[in-house]
Amino acid sequence: MKKVNYFLAALLGLSIQFASAQVKKGSVLIKNATVLTVTEGTLENSDVLVQDGIIKKVGQNLNAPNGVTTIDATGKYLMPGIIDAHSHLGLDVVNEATSPIVAEVRMKDMVNPFEVGIYRALAGGVTISHAMHGSANVIGGQNATLKHRWGSTDPADIIMQEAPRTIKFALGENPTRVHGRGNGIQPRTRMGVEAILRNGFNEAIQYKKEWAEYNAAASQKGNTALSPVHNERLEILSDILDGKIIIHCHSYRADEIYMLINVARDFGITKLVFQHTNEGFKVAPEIAEYTMGASVFADWWAYKFEVYYSTAYNAAILTENGAITSINSDDAELIRHLYHEAAKTQRYGGMTDEQALSMITINPAKQLGIADKVGSIEEGKQADLVIFEGHPLSSYAVPQMTFVDGVKYFDIKEDADDQRMKISATEMVEPVMIYEGHDSRCMQDTESLFETTESLFLLNQ
Amino acid sequence: MKKPLLYAGVFCFMVSGLLSSTLALAQSDPSGKKPITDTYAITNATVFTSPGQAGVKTTVLIKNGLIQGVGNNLALPKEAKTIAGDSLFIYPGFIAGASDVGITRPKDPERPDDFVSSNPSDEIAGITPWRSAVDQFSIKDSKVDDLRKVGFTIVQISPEGGMIAGKTAIVLLGSENSTNILKENTALAANFRGSRGMYPGTAVGVMAKFREVYDNTMLTSERSQKYSTVAGLKRPEITPTYSAMQEVTTGQIPVMFTTSSDLEIRRAISLQKEKGFKLVLTGLEEYEGVLDVIKASGAAVLVKLEIPDDKAIKAQKDDATAEVKELNARVKKAYDDAIAQAGKLEEAGIPFAFSIVGVKSGDIMKALQKMIASGLSEKAALAALTTNPASILGLTKVAGSIEKGKMANLILSTDSLFTEDAQIKHIVVDGIIYDYETKAKKKAAKDGNGAMKIEGTWEYTSESPAGSSGGILVIKKDGSDYSGTITYDDPSGAGKATSDIKNVNLNGSSLSFSFDVTASGMDITVDVSGEVSEGSYDATMTVGEFGSFPFKGTLTPTLIANK
Amino acid sequence: MKRLTKTFFAFLLALLPVMAMAQIDGEFIKPRPGKFLLQNATVVTITKGVLNNTSVLIEDGKIKEVGANISADGAEVIDCTGKFIYPGMIDGGTKLGLVEVSSVPETVDYAEIGNFSPNMQALTAVNPNSVAIPVTRVSGVTTVLTVPAGGLFPGTAALINLNGYTPDQMYAGFKGIVMNFPNSGRRGRFDRRSDEDIKKANEKALKDANDLWDNAKSYNKLIADGAKLDYYPEMAQLAKATTGELPLLIEVNAASDILAAIKWVEGKGAKVIFTGVSEGWRVADSIATAKIPVITGPIQALPTRESDRYDTPYANAGKMAKAGVKVAIRTDDQENVRNLPFFAAFAAAYGMGKDEAWKAVTINPAEIFGLADQYGSVEAGKVANLIVADGDPFETKTNVMHVFIEGYRMPLSNRQIRLYQEFLDRSPGLKVN
Repeated sequence: MKKVNYFLAALLGLSIQFASAQVKKGSVLIKNATVLTVTEGTLENSDVLVQDGIIKKVGQNLNAPNGVTTIDATGKYLMPGIIDAHSHLGLDVVNEATSPIVAEVRMKDMVNPFEVGIYRALAGGVTISHAMHGSANVIGGQNATLKHRWGSTDPADIIMQEAPRTIKFALGENPTRVHGRGNGIQPRTRMGVEAILRNGFNEAIQYKKEWAEYNAAASQKGNTALSPVHNERLEILSDILDGKIIIHCHSYRADEIYMLINVARDFGITKLVFQHTNEGFKVAPEIAEYTMGASVFADWWAYKFEVYYSTAYNAAILTENGAITSINSDDAELIRHLYHEAAKTQRYGGMTDEQALSMITINPAKQLGIADKVGSIEEGKQADLVIFEGHPLSSYAVPQMTFVDGVKYFDIKEDADDQRMKISATEMVEPVMIYEGHDSRCMQDTESLFETTESLFLLNQ
Repeated sequence: MKKPLLYAGVFCFMVSGLLSSTLALAQSDPSGKKPITDTYAITNATVFTSPGQAGVKTTVLIKNGLIQGVGNNLALPKEAKTIAGDSLFIYPGFIAGASDVGITRPKDPERPDDFVSSNPSDEIAGITPWRSAVDQFSIKDSKVDDLRKVGFTIVQISPEGGMIAGKTAIVLLGSENSTNILKENTALAANFRGSRGMYPGTAVGVMAKFREVYDNTMLTSERSQKYSTVAGLKRPEITPTYSAMQEVTTGQIPVMFTTSSDLEIRRAISLQKEKGFKLVLTGLEEYEGVLDVIKASGAAVLVKLEIPDDKAIKAQKDDATAEVKELNARVKKAYDDAIAQAGKLEEAGIPFAFSIVGVKSGDIMKALQKMIASGLSEKAALAALTTNPASILGLTKVAGSIEKGKMANLILSTDSLFTEDAQIKHIVVDGIIYDYETKAKKKAAKDGNGAMKIEGTWEYTSESPAGSSGGILVIKKDGSDYSGTITYDDPSGAGKATSDIKNVNLNGSSLSFSFDVTASGMDITVDVSGEVSEGSYDATMTVGEFGSFPFKGTLTPTLIANK
Repeated sequence: MKRLTKTFFAFLLALLPVMAMAQIDGEFIKPRPGKFLLQNATVVTITKGVLNNTSVLIEDGKIKEVGANISADGAEVIDCTGKFIYPGMIDGGTKLGLVEVSSVPETVDYAEIGNFSPNMQALTAVNPNSVAIPVTRVSGVTTVLTVPAGGLFPGTAALINLNGYTPDQMYAGFKGIVMNFPNSGRRGRFDRRSDEDIKKANEKALKDANDLWDNAKSYNKLIADGAKLDYYPEMAQLAKATTGELPLLIEVNAASDILAAIKWVEGKGAKVIFTGVSEGWRVADSIATAKIPVITGPIQALPTRESDRYDTPYANAGKMAKAGVKVAIRTDDQENVRNLPFFAAFAAAYGMGKDEAWKAVTINPAEIFGLADQYGSVEAGKVANLIVADGDPFETKTNVMHVFIEGYRMPLSNRQIRLYQEFLDRSPGLKVN
């Protein structure tokens, strides 16, 4: 009997898997900085007091309580920790590419806190990343929102446990190539992509109904009802329909973006964010009206056909049309300078400082459902902070220190060069990897589905 | 000249034990191999009855495959054959918590014409909980004697396969005429490996699929239960997967998850916490960071009985730059830490046994010695090889120590077991005595620097199921490193093929090297390791997953003379 | 709220011409030659310091005069008060014009089949109408080296100006034979070869390179001695590198490879330029001693080793420059060569300093290509490749207001800008039926 209860608990999504992780919380007083709060303007010569991981006070002439370290940031800029709404850092597996829908897989299962890329992201001021499933499936796996608590060895410690659930969707070339052309099953076209979505949601509705009927019948005495088969995949799709999960959809072309908006409307889904969205500018009014916005590259284009008709003014057009817009990396290199990527919206569309900074702080926070906790420097929010030498939107800006929950995880002056947490006992000198351009991991782990790894390179992003 | 299949080992030859004593009905044996008695008295040996017990000079009496007594005043029956144990050290036979010895991977099932990669059948996807390791096991595999020779008498064999490979079984490494089965269906072997090119293809898919299989097994049980008690119900669908999984969901047997790294260990434990099954963690290689997690989980632990290779450490050069020296130091530390882990496990109070899946028998003693040198106590090492696995496998009543009434599984060694000079003289399994050749340490030919001289041209012969073959092995010395070539029968046709040999490693008189062979489009690495003495090389050749075979070489004298 | 947005757009569009969004300039669509007087600017000459209140006269494609009081004399006067004039930036290594869409093989023209194809001419395959060219131009990059890739000797790179309708019109006067120096490192995460295999492949490649080089030398000598040899275009082309007629652009990255390459070029008599040089900082002194100039990049890159400090790729150019190496910067990109100024800024911020970073995208590449008399600075007599900006062009906030290439005033529009103009306030907008 007890087992059955246990099982029911699991069905209800009451996972106890990653409960009660112990994370470090710090206290610090940062003084005399130019504080870029993002939501409440710029405060010259101001102080920010952090206690137990929370921003306690923002003001002037604050004093450090006993035992709290003071950092003099005179002449420096302080901004909220940068949030990357699209990343694959810290994941052992990115794609379960084998089925058009794999909603049941959880990136939280694959979190790897040892990846040195996490530290490198911190060195670029990034404190939170959205560790996403890849883009091989129309409906991919459930993502994990990570807090970059570098040095933790327990994956649970770098998962932002209080972040809401999100899931990856993908439209266009990647899912049609993997399944249609790679494996000979639907979808091979953008028509098929829509069909997969509608079929999946309708099956989920039916599934939910079967269980509801069974549960109702099972409570009657002398019933002859037998339980339906448990299907985690449809379970998750039901949760999406119930508004429990935010969709983050890899998409490029205007038509496919519009298609998903229509599908979402038909199924009453409102929690929807578009990722990449290179042609989002063409349907900016629709994105603005119906969705939680778009998370885009600052200037990537032309690496594949569906991004040929792109413009670096995309973020500006989306913003001016009222869509929540964020700038993301999807890349271990780009994540190191998202502040600079955001700055590009000033060249391409004349975004103000506040608009540009919002795109890497409060806007991605909104898209991840964590804007009440992070994304700006406000009293009561989690103390994820970055100190910059130079304005963060200057091309010459250099991040100096990065804090997560008031704990300093990056210090340009004090940190050792070699930040590896795991060392191979059998490899004398670690391999030299010559950087060969952006190596997005959106399609990582789909190798076995393709003839050559070369074709995989072409599938990047 | 073709030799019979599966030559046992290199140094060993079995003089007895081809017939199990318990099956020995009165009959003639023209082969002359039948033992004359099944009763033995090993007298005046130094006996270590269980871990932590000091050696005591005493006599061990064996009869009917059982230990009949241990003591100085035993009444020895008339039929007892006496073995003078004066110079011998006796230990309980080793037990491996998990092993792939004698296991042959079953053929992959054929894909049906309507195969859909996103929704393959369980069998094709590697979900085969109904399979038993017993069906994949052969006592006649040459690796069995390799392993017995190191001291192993009982192993839990783990089936080969996909994410849920099947059920393990516990077998004796005993008579070729017995099934040797002690227990069947002892655990469910699982791992995080995906199926190539189909669902689930990766670890993340495997975890999701495992949950699904588990949950539906429970629902199936529930339905069957109701079906058997309430009339008028639709027949519930029973599948081999759910039937075979029920022993796990009802807690009768544990899931034995292969988890080599700390992240995999955490993943298995999180599944365990979610679903509530009994857990055995096996194949642990990297676990220092999760000792507390393991302890809290209550899972049984099977550490992989292997240490990292030391090529990287040995390659460290003194004249490196400061930067490289710093990096080297970290590698050295990683190496030292890896070896010291077993000791840390002991310190943390976690009883553990060993997995020898994927481990070469010839490397086991060295691995144990290194672990002991790095902090593992001899007592804990012996416990990990005897009493702990007995307890994990539920064999405490029959094995794990030298006591009256337990199985006669013994190691008879020439010296205290974990010392470098110790050689195993006899192994007793199930009362059958296997004799092994021990050698006085021969003087080796040394070069000027005191190192063994191996460079030159060797002629070798090897035995394999394909018959006897041979070729030329040329070893050259470049500075302190060795390189060379080897010729062998070209597997793709007639004539000889040549490969470069690599990873040539000479340690004292132990010489090992490997080379790559391409056969029908597959690259196979052949590892050769053994002992060199006075121009001869007695070694074992391991050919990928296909098995181990004898390899004997002779240094061509003319070429030595020319030097 | 929606109405507010609309009103805001109307306001914004009205302001467009005066908002100094120089990149949204619908004024003209064709490059326009002529005589131009850029009046009263701050001129950052690169070689002759910063000149305040100075004018630049452009005539016949050249910089005619740089001075305080230049009479217009029929020139079209462009008031540059408060503006800055810089030389056009030079990207020392790109695939610009050789690829349109990376994932569409039909549009990828930088890698020919064969390990030994130095006779492949990048200039031939440059598409003057590539959409990426005007996208690049508006950033202030006026000249790029476009480079073939692939085997050991993949072809001959060419320097092009980003103006012109035929490759010959674009050609800027430098060609170099590309050599990929045998790489002893890994090519990336997907490279799972064993150390031994890498070492072997490396040794073989080095031997191949030596054999080819020796052959090319012999070929050249026999021809010079009057021999009539069979048609052998590959050898004939490589022979030009052995005599120094064409420089040799050696792509080399790992520290040990750089040292090996320095050794390799000794006594070969080639004019050598190193490219890539990701681990140059590890062996900067050796490169300086060998007096080999370097074109390095991309600057925004990942460290070559897990254990490396996070900022080594940013700091690499500066460290080499400090050691005395002549350093130029490249993007090694195709569609995003427009990021060259930002790469230079990163190098500047992480140790190189702004002055040296400016040189690395102007006079240094000009010198490395042997074209310092024509490019790389604002000096009378040089080719009129100039940009006018309202600030530091390395900053994203800065607008590049004018670009001149070979004296042509370039239109500052491109497809990306046109899409902006069309879609900023789309019509019909949100149509509700």
